Amino acid sequence: MPSIYLEPRTERSAFAPFLVSGLAVFLTMVAGSGLFLLYGKSPIAGFHAIFIEPLLSNYGIGEVLLKLGPLLLIAQGLAIGFRARVWNIGAEGQLIIGAILASVVAIQFDGSTSSLLLPAMVLAGALGGMGWAGIAAWLRTRYNANEILVTFMLSSIALQVLYYLVTGPLRDPQGFNFPQSITFSAAATFPLLIENTRVNASLLIALVVSFIAWVFMQRSLMGYKLVVGGLAPHAARYAGFGEKRAIWLALLIGGAAAGVAGVGEVAGPLGMLQRTISPGYGFTAIIVAFLGGLHPIGIVFSSALMALIYVGGDFARLSVGLPSAVTDIFQGLLLTFYLASSLLLTHRLRRRSSENRIVAEIAE
Amino acid sequence: MTFISKTIKLAAAAVVASTMLTGASTAEDKLKIGFIYPSPVGDVGWAYQLDEGRKKIEAMFGDKVESVVVENVPEGPDAARIMNQMASTGADMIMIGSFGYMNDGLKLAAQKKDINFIHASGYKTAPNFGNFQTRNYESAYVAGMAAGYVTKSKTLGVVAAYAIPEVVGIINAFTLGAQQTNADVTVKVVWLNSWFNPSKAQESAKSLIAQSADVIFSLYQDTPSVVQVAEEEGVYVVNTSSDMKKYAPTKLLASMTIDWGPHFTTQVQAALDGKFEGTAYWGGMADGAVGLASMSDDLSADQKSTIEGVMAEIAAGTRHPFDGPVMAQDGSEKIASGSAIEDGALLGIDWLVTGVETQLPK
Amino acid sequence: MTATLIFIIAGTLAATVPLLLAAMGELVAEKSGMLNLGVEGMMAVGAASGFVTVALTGSHALGIIVGGASALLLSGVFAILSIFFLANQVAAGLAIGILGLGVSAGIGKNYEGTTVNALPKLDFGALSEIPFLGPAFFNHDFLVYAALLMAFAVWYVLQRTKLGLIIRSVGESPSSAHALGYSVALIRTCCVLFGGAMAGVGGAYLSTAYTPLWADGMVAGRGWIVVALVVFGTWIVPRVTMGAYLFGALSLLELSIQGLGLNIPSQLLSASPYIVTIIVLVVISRNPTLIQLNSPMSLGQTYKASN
Repeated sequence: MPSIYLEPRTERSAFAPFLVSGLAVFLTMVAGSGLFLLYGKSPIAGFHAIFIEPLLSNYGIGEVLLKLGPLLLIAQGLAIGFRARVWNIGAEGQLIIGAILASVVAIQFDGSTSSLLLPAMVLAGALGGMGWAGIAAWLRTRYNANEILVTFMLSSIALQVLYYLVTGPLRDPQGFNFPQSITFSAAATFPLLIENTRVNASLLIALVVSFIAWVFMQRSLMGYKLVVGGLAPHAARYAGFGEKRAIWLALLIGGAAAGVAGVGEVAGPLGMLQRTISPGYGFTAIIVAFLGGLHPIGIVFSSALMALIYVGGDFARLSVGLPSAVTDIFQGLLLTFYLASSLLLTHRLRRRSSENRIVAEIAE
Repeated sequence: MTFISKTIKLAAAAVVASTMLTGASTAEDKLKIGFIYPSPVGDVGWAYQLDEGRKKIEAMFGDKVESVVVENVPEGPDAARIMNQMASTGADMIMIGSFGYMNDGLKLAAQKKDINFIHASGYKTAPNFGNFQTRNYESAYVAGMAAGYVTKSKTLGVVAAYAIPEVVGIINAFTLGAQQTNADVTVKVVWLNSWFNPSKAQESAKSLIAQSADVIFSLYQDTPSVVQVAEEEGVYVVNTSSDMKKYAPTKLLASMTIDWGPHFTTQVQAALDGKFEGTAYWGGMADGAVGLASMSDDLSADQKSTIEGVMAEIAAGTRHPFDGPVMAQDGSEKIASGSAIEDGALLGIDWLVTGVETQLPK
Repeated sequence: MTATLIFIIAGTLAATVPLLLAAMGELVAEKSGMLNLGVEGMMAVGAASGFVTVALTGSHALGIIVGGASALLLSGVFAILSIFFLANQVAAGLAIGILGLGVSAGIGKNYEGTTVNALPKLDFGALSEIPFLGPAFFNHDFLVYAALLMAFAVWYVLQRTKLGLIIRSVGESPSSAHALGYSVALIRTCCVLFGGAMAGVGGAYLSTAYTPLWADGMVAGRGWIVVALVVFGTWIVPRVTMGAYLFGALSLLELSIQGLGLNIPSQLLSASPYIVTIIVLVVISRNPTLIQLNSPMSLGQTYKASN
């Protein structure tokens, strides 16, 4: 009986990443069909609700774009770090701190109509995210503390900081002790892009950042050095770009992006600081980054897909009666299948037989 | 308008038109009502009571109405989507079942003037946006009386979420009621600082029991966790929202219940008649919105009839749980003898009565 | 005052069980070099499936077994992804974490807010009558003691047996272990599965003994505390065990502090496990010998045997 074994690829096909993502989506659909049947729903109705229905109305499209913004922004930032092998898994915390600092600005200058207010909030948010991620960078470069663990712990701490502030110092004094801040004034919120939807101008920031990320990673010497600095610290040191700089840069970029995403939420659909700012964007963005092959263009697609699943999952609750757990399960499945499929990026399956040249190339 | 929005508008225009056509063809004479709950309906608790109200609508109006439910919708950026989707799929009326939905609901109400909203526990209204709450302090007062009767340690424990005025008012009424039947009781409170945390609620109940509380008040805990632990530890328990007798068959002193049926059905009738107005409804014992269920048989017949007598007085409006004199924790007189608290003051109450040992969280 | 002290001691012993069990599992997995960040999801699956089993059969033993087994299956997905498909461990852990939270909500859907009888307490006879000591230490279900025994067993296996030596050497240097003829993949898989089973039992304890009810989201971040706990204990069993009791006592301490009228923000206490863990991590990491002595050197690294 011929057995199958793995052989490392010597060269990569340009199409392989797309095929791998496609395979993951396909497998998720197959598993998802089983899930729908388990809930006694028709898979066709389920998929229609999740993947088609949101795109049938202005509002639905708006909602997808609203979700896409933060996912895209955070994932672009994280992917840069991931490619340099710096594992920032605390974007959720960086998002929260960014949102808090922006809110402090908004609350401090409540009533101001200055057009500088919003840019100041974005700046504060970026600095907040950078500061929070910077702690991890400092502890890693100065004390060698593992950034996976530190960024993750900082996320949990950030959540408690938020809880503290909304039940205390930043709480609306006229808000009957409810744990939330004042409602931000118009000058402290992003203008809407499409009427009667909730898509706001923060989406443009995400798109611009995507373009910059593409230029930075694909076209700039610094981006190249960053990746090398992470991949091969010794070689990089020769090139005058140390591991430490790579770590600082990777974490600060990721933190800034996440912080600005936080501003997009409090100065966007929420219009205030409250206990729930993000339904886990910081963690979902990690999935998005991987699903996009850590490539700036791939991430645009993967964040759109993930945003669609989020919104479609909500639509399916009303139109098909699927439980909210479906969204989580779909996201988990998608990443699981992507991780499994992506083995084909670096390896090919070969069949061990009398003629060793017969190759089962699935990814090509 | 920007370039992006224009492109999307164009792209979407065709599909939107088609869905509107199909939407129009399926529209019937039924009043379609959407319900959004912050937690799963489950067996007891807040969402369960709201859903009981929904069932009363269905029972009363039959096929004149059609209801759609989405449960477990967290307060946050995503709640608006569910509301909007209900609105765009033909809902004529939407019940939004949590405080945190208020601002998104109001925004939507401003856009969709032909949809009527009723909102649980908020404080803002609009012509097509009303809110509803219950005077749970009334039932808390009589539950407090029951607690005062049975306590031996003269210490009562409250497990509470946040110090919002509604909760503060309930704790005060509970304490005032207990003082009616047992002059020198003290009340201890644990603030959970969380709307949902069954394990911590249970730990809190145990910590209160350890501090010699022998009646526990489970205030706005959506799960039966506190009631369950009281039965296990052998102390009396009072709870809000639903009748939880089955979780503490021997130790449930009484359940403070809520019945949204009367209000929901009036609102639906108004909507059917085209006379809906966004009002602030605050239902109490007078209109059967709050009550006491499953009073324990450990209370004597006399005690029960005293409690029932007080309930009748409250319902008749001859008695108010906050009838003066009422002293605050610091000893200052907040309500003078011969007067009762005004509704407005009660809606924003931020002080605890004397007898409550715990301070409000700063 | 004594009553409060008994409450804190007895409460801590019980509150620690899910943390200790799951932490022992995660510790073994990490010792073999596998960083599984999906603990929260595994505990949730264990809690949901364990609860449903008890609700259906009334058997706590079965509930604990099913809770452990279902989380073990989930950890199997992690093992397959990260060991056989060479996926990044961070990503794979997050994937099964999200998957687990979704699956647990699905399993428990029809049981929301329902209760079961708690796992019965052991009968210690006269022992439980001793003033103070009785109610504090001899008024618990068997898992309170079994969890501690499990910690001892994990310590014994890791430190005193050949198996432990192999697990540790796989975590230190998979390539040397491979050169010595051990199957790195097999050992790592077993360690991950053990971690899954322990997280599942911990979750089942939560929903069938500690707070015997099911509510979506009831694991409430304990899985993340477990990840922190292993680091806090610097991968050393007795330290992780002590840390588990310390973290277990924190939430109870908060309630007692409220009772005493001290005004310490509860959020500071909630954040403190993470703050101290970062400090511990920094202290051990800054010293190359310390970090080498304690942390598994290949933690989080994908290993593929070059055959």
